[in-house]
Parts: sequence; C-alpha cells; structure tokens
Amino acid sequence: MWTALPISVLVFSSFGEGWFYPRLLPTHWSTAAWGELVGDRRLLRSLVISVWLALLTGGAASILGFEIGRRVSRIAVPLRYFALTAAFIPVAAPPLALGIGLQYFVLRAGLGGTLTGVWLAHSVVAIGYTTVYFIGVFAVFDRRVEEEARSLGASPLVTLARVTLPLHRRQLAEAFLLGFLVSWAQVPLTLLIGQGAVESLATSVMSYAHAGQDHLASVAGLLLTLPALVLMGLVGSSIRRLAVATV
Amino acid sequence: MIADKRSLTRLFPIALVALPPLLGLGYALSASLGLSGVANGGLTLQYLREVIASHTTWAAVGWTLWIATASTVFATLAAVLLAATFRAESTADRIGRMVAVLPLPIPHVVAALASLLILGQSGLLSRFANTAGMFSTPAQMPPLVYDRLGIGLIFALVWKEIPFLALIAFTVLKSRGGLLEESARSLGANRLQTFLYATWPVLWRGMLPGVVAVATFVAGSYETAALLAPSRPLALPLLTMERYTDGAMELRPDAFVLAGFSLLVSLAAVAIYGAMIARAENFK
Repeated sequence: MWTALPISVLVFSSFGEGWFYPRLLPTHWSTAAWGELVGDRRLLRSLVISVWLALLTGGAASILGFEIGRRVSRIAVPLRYFALTAAFIPVAAPPLALGIGLQYFVLRAGLGGTLTGVWLAHSVVAIGYTTVYFIGVFAVFDRRVEEEARSLGASPLVTLARVTLPLHRRQLAEAFLLGFLVSWAQVPLTLLIGQGAVESLATSVMSYAHAGQDHLASVAGLLLTLPALVLMGLVGSSIRRLAVATV
Repeated sequence: MIADKRSLTRLFPIALVALPPLLGLGYALSASLGLSGVANGGLTLQYLREVIASHTTWAAVGWTLWIATASTVFATLAAVLLAATFRAESTADRIGRMVAVLPLPIPHVVAALASLLILGQSGLLSRFANTAGMFSTPAQMPPLVYDRLGIGLIFALVWKEIPFLALIAFTVLKSRGGLLEESARSLGANRLQTFLYATWPVLWRGMLPGVVAVATFVAGSYETAALLAPSRPLALPLLTMERYTDGAMELRPDAFVLAGFSLLVSLAAVAIYGAMIARAENFK
C-alpha cells in the first residue's frame, strides 16, 4: 500500500471526474484529462521534448561514458580513485547550483533557451553517471580478450569495434537507460538553461501543479512514471547498477 | 615513470566529466566575490558577508538540514527494516523486495505531486479523516504541506529514497550478512543481539556511502521543495532560486554565494565518498 498509494492517487486524479471533497473516490471515470494530451499542444510538445532530450542524452552519455570509463579503468591505483572521485562530482553537485554556475557559459555560447543548451546541460550530469558506471564495469573486465585480439594482429580500433564493443552491448544499453532516466526526471537544469522556452514533461508537472490543474499535472506525472517503470522492468536484474541515477 | 606519465595522460578524459561542474563552481565563486557577473565591481567580500550575516540564510540552512536529516534517518530505518524482513529466498520475500524497490525510477517531481494530492488539506488523508468523522471541512485538517515542519516534503522524500537504500541493504545482507549472523547465533546470541552486534554493523558499513549520497541529494533537491515546502522559512534550494531569478539584480550575487556554498558542500560529500571507496577497497 505504501508503494502503490501515491501512484493510485495520480490515476484517480487523472481519470476521475467530480472528485470533490469529501469523496474518497471520483463519482465517475473519464479520459477527458488524457484527451488533453492531443488537445493541449503544450502537454504534447513537452512530451515530445522530453523524449527527444532523454534519447539524445542517453546516446551521448552511453558513448562518452563508455570511452571515458574504459580509459580511466586502465589508470593505476591510487590515481584511479582520484579519477573515480572526479567523475562523481557532476553526480553529487546539486543540479540547481550546477545550473546557476553553468548558465553563464551556456548564454555566452548563445545556447540559452535552446534545446541544444538543455541537452548539453543534461549530458553534463548524465555523463558523470555513466562514467562512474563504466569505471565499475571495466574494473571487472578481463582485458586478456583484447590482448588476444591484438596478438592476432587486430588494430586498437578493430579490437574496440569487434571485441570490446560487442562484449559490452548490454552495459551500453543499461548506460543509455541511465542517461535517459537522468534527463527524463531533470527539473532545475531544464528551468535554468531552458529559461522557460524549453518545457519538458517534468517541468510541466510543476507548472500544472502550481496552477492548481491537478488533472493535467497527474496526466503529466503518469506519463513521466510509466516509461520509467517499463524501463525498470526491461533492465530487471541490472537495476542495482542503475539505482544510483534515481537517488 | 612511463607508466605514471601514461596514467596522468589517461586522466585527461575525466576532465571532460569534472570540468563543467568545476567551471560552474569557479564562476559562482568569482561572481560571489564581485569578480564576474552583474556585480563585477572588483574583489569584495561584501556579498559573502551579507549572506553569512543574514538570518534568512541560516534559517534556510537549518530548515534544509532538518529535512535532509529527518528524511535520511526515516528512509534508512525503513530500508533496514525492509531488508531484515524480506531477506529469505521464498516467493513472498522476493515479491516483498520487488514491491519495495518499485518507486525507484519514479521522478521526484511525481512523488512530490502525489504527496500534494494525499496530504493537502482537501487531499486523500483529509477525506479519510472526514469519512471517519474526525472533521467536516478541509480547513480543520492540520497543514501537512507547505508546513513549517515539512511533513509533506519529508513524506515525499522518504517514499522516494527508501527503495534506493533498501536495494543497497538487500545487497549488503545477501553478500555479507549470513555468515556473521550464523557465527553470532552459534555463539549463543539471541535474535536481538544478533541484529545489534552482527546484522546492524554490516548493514551500516555497507549503506553508509548510500546514506551520504541520499542526504546530499535531499539537501539540494529543488523540485520537491518547490512543490511542498513553506515560504517561511525557505528551503536552501528555493532561497537560491529566488535570489537568482529576483528582478532586483543586486540579489544575484547572493544566489552565487549560496550556489557556491551548495557546490562546496557537495564536493565535500564527494571527498567523503572517495575516501570511503578507497577504504572499502583496502578492506577487501
């Protein structure tokens, strides 16, 4: 009940009509609020922006995190601890403070209020997560497979493309989901770097809730929740490695 | 020596990861010292002094610490309880573990919205109380959101953080708990003694980095506070945002001081995390 109650309330609020105080349940059920997804362009646009941002962030974070993690894992201890700690900085930095610090540079680059600017800001955080993730992955990777390929005449690039990357397909998919989730739930960076011009689903939840539009806030909230739960179902046993993204 | 040089060269990619937040920190610090930003009139400690001398700042810091401590303590206790309850390999326990971690991927802003709909004065809890005959109008419901104690905010944060900490607790108990507990029992310890002297120390050591991460995250969390925290005292992230977006530009340096402070606190948490990782590796 503790787990399900908050989600049930969102379902009641998004599908319920005439749910006035002091009724425990709505008087009747309706999909009117969900119809707003098509009717209210603002909600639909924020959904598309969120999906787009999350896909791009997941892509950038998985590729860069893979390469940086691979390189860092070759560093000898204790410098590797230093690298791991450095990679943890964007993970631990509060996004609001990070956004305030970064906004100047984003504005100087002419990317304030643009999708590209918000994507870059989301990626700063997401790459931190995926780098930490891949440092862990490569810490237990048996490099003898790569050495074997090299001894058989494969160039470093061929070894990467034919050996290392195929062996890490699942981890790359998990890192992609990690980056996706980091962007999907991001609020302060979107507000600060997007400057109101880029509205994601997560920032829509806030603005609908502040405006007292509980039905629409609940629809947006459930739209944010469902993909996250589906992704959790997909990654299944790998959830331990992804948990850090959802602190 | 060559190996050392190579290691140092390999550190360059990590700069890609750490540099943006460090640049942000650098800019926030320089703007808070009057060296950049809207108030770049030359090096001054004036803004720093003003923020430190302000009662509003300390009220925000105190209130945020209260929220972070209460949320982390409740979430940790609940996670330990869940781990101790659902630890067997039976189907029931497996389901219990699965349900416990279900809110893990749900965004904080959604948890805050649900908290608003449950604990608000005309929310679900108030309706239950009405049905039970405890009161007849929403106004009679004690405020649990936007309240000075931050009950609604703590509820949302605890709901959201339990799965993360429970997941760590499940893993720690599974990998390290059994053998020690068996030894304790074979030495004659009862259930309580086994928990206090074998289970708890193992759990605590394993969960500590996660607990530090949760406390740091909760203290800096903006969206949950924006939906559930009161306007007096303001939570630190809200105070920072308010100063940053205020039409009065002279308040902007205050925001940089507060943002710089938050980033420094998080860097301290990173240092603690790094030390813990190194210690854990040495321990292994």
